[in-house]
Amino acid sequence: MISTIAYGLTIGAILYIISIGLSLTFGTMRIVNFAHALVYTVGAYALASTLSFFGGAFIPAAIFAVLAVIPLAYIIERFVIRRLYGQSIDYAIIATYAVLLIGVDACKWIWGATPISVSDPIGASWTILGVDLPIYRLIIILLSLLVFAALEIFFRRTIVGKVVVAGLEDKEATRSLGINVDKYFSFVFILGSCLAALGGALYVPITSLHPYMGFQVLLLSFAVVIVGGMGNMRGTFVAAFALGMVMAMTGRFWGAASETMVFVVMAIVLIVKPIEV
Amino acid sequence: MMLLSVDRINVAYGAARVLSEVSLTLDKGERVFVVGRNGAGKTTLLKTIAGFLTPTEGDILFDGEKVNAWHPEQMANCGVRYVYQDKRVFTRLTVRENIELAAFASKEKLDVAIDRVVQIYPKITQFLDTKAGGLSGGQKQLLLLGRALIGEPKVLLIDEPTEGLAAGIIEEVFKVLEMMKGKVSMIIVEQNLAVVCALADRVYAMKEGRILAQLTDPAEIQDHAILEQYL
Repeated sequence: MISTIAYGLTIGAILYIISIGLSLTFGTMRIVNFAHALVYTVGAYALASTLSFFGGAFIPAAIFAVLAVIPLAYIIERFVIRRLYGQSIDYAIIATYAVLLIGVDACKWIWGATPISVSDPIGASWTILGVDLPIYRLIIILLSLLVFAALEIFFRRTIVGKVVVAGLEDKEATRSLGINVDKYFSFVFILGSCLAALGGALYVPITSLHPYMGFQVLLLSFAVVIVGGMGNMRGTFVAAFALGMVMAMTGRFWGAASETMVFVVMAIVLIVKPIEV
Repeated sequence: MMLLSVDRINVAYGAARVLSEVSLTLDKGERVFVVGRNGAGKTTLLKTIAGFLTPTEGDILFDGEKVNAWHPEQMANCGVRYVYQDKRVFTRLTVRENIELAAFASKEKLDVAIDRVVQIYPKITQFLDTKAGGLSGGQKQLLLLGRALIGEPKVLLIDEPTEGLAAGIIEEVFKVLEMMKGKVSMIIVEQNLAVVCALADRVYAMKEGRILAQLTDPAEIQDHAILEQYL
């Protein structure tokens, strides 16, 4: 049971780091951004490709992966997302899904379709109540808590964070003060993309790396965002860990249904509290 | 001295025209009221001046410059502030943070900005660290008016400032509008005729997207019966 809980928390941590960007993008820009999964995938590949360059050192490679997606995120925001502001949500889904498909094919062209595996960078475990828990997974959980705390401080204490909170609530009223809200939303988009890349980089040693890895996590991330509330940062945090535990617990007793159960929870949430778009 | 001029503008939502040939002027320090029934186009007129809508025809001149296609941010930064109806404060932020955002946009120091709000509503000091969503309707309105004054704007576009407020609070809003006389030019959309009669320098009456009449004579403005025919 302890290993199941640890697995659930690890999945929850990864889901949180990936989903928060998706949630913020919807909350700020009202855009469903499927291209988020591409940034996640590119982040994972960037880590795997540069590990040898950094002499196998995981942390600099992960930092590089996070920074490497900034130009990609900027291009997506500048030339795709920004043209979709105020448009029907259907256009955003189609356009960003097209970006994802093009990006996945580009990944296949650059890195090939053969899955790549990256070993656990720590390779050690702690034994708790007779169960071996990989330290790397515990670090991921800790890191997600740090990301949550950092985002809380950012949105509550900094003026940029307060502008974004105000813009999330009432964009027009924020503009009427003389604040160019879109500029700050773009910054949030890039921040969210960097977190997706971080999620991808952190997840690589746990799973295998292949061009289609983004599709699976994309659906799970959407479930997190819907359950947590679009643009709701604390809700996303709670939902990610709750759904991570749902996956782990279901997987323990009925492996085939672990992901399905996440969407059952999502459906229940939608029935109880439908989304207003 | 003319500060703002709206010259024969047409505004449409898609195919539906909501303003037709609307003209209006505002002098420096003047307090102009716009009255009319619901759906007359009063809010649309303010939103167009504020930059949220672009006229399909006609011109808007501010300080002699054509500002038809200016964005709301540009208008606000040039000193034209729109104060929404519905008491739209940022409910998730504290009162201090609401003021801080306006100070940030106006590049004014926070303590100076707070002083400006305190000048028109001294009791606000008790609520600075309260979430703005917890304020009463009247407190929200006074916060909005105070917030709009940060950075010394030239023009305030105020939409229904007394709507839905209790009589005692209307009195406070009235005093604030009175206090602002001469310091800032204002275009105020208002249905409360007592407020209009007491404060207006000039009145424009609107109906179905058009300016129906302009009242400049104080005797006419203070005559409820004349104003009532436009409501």
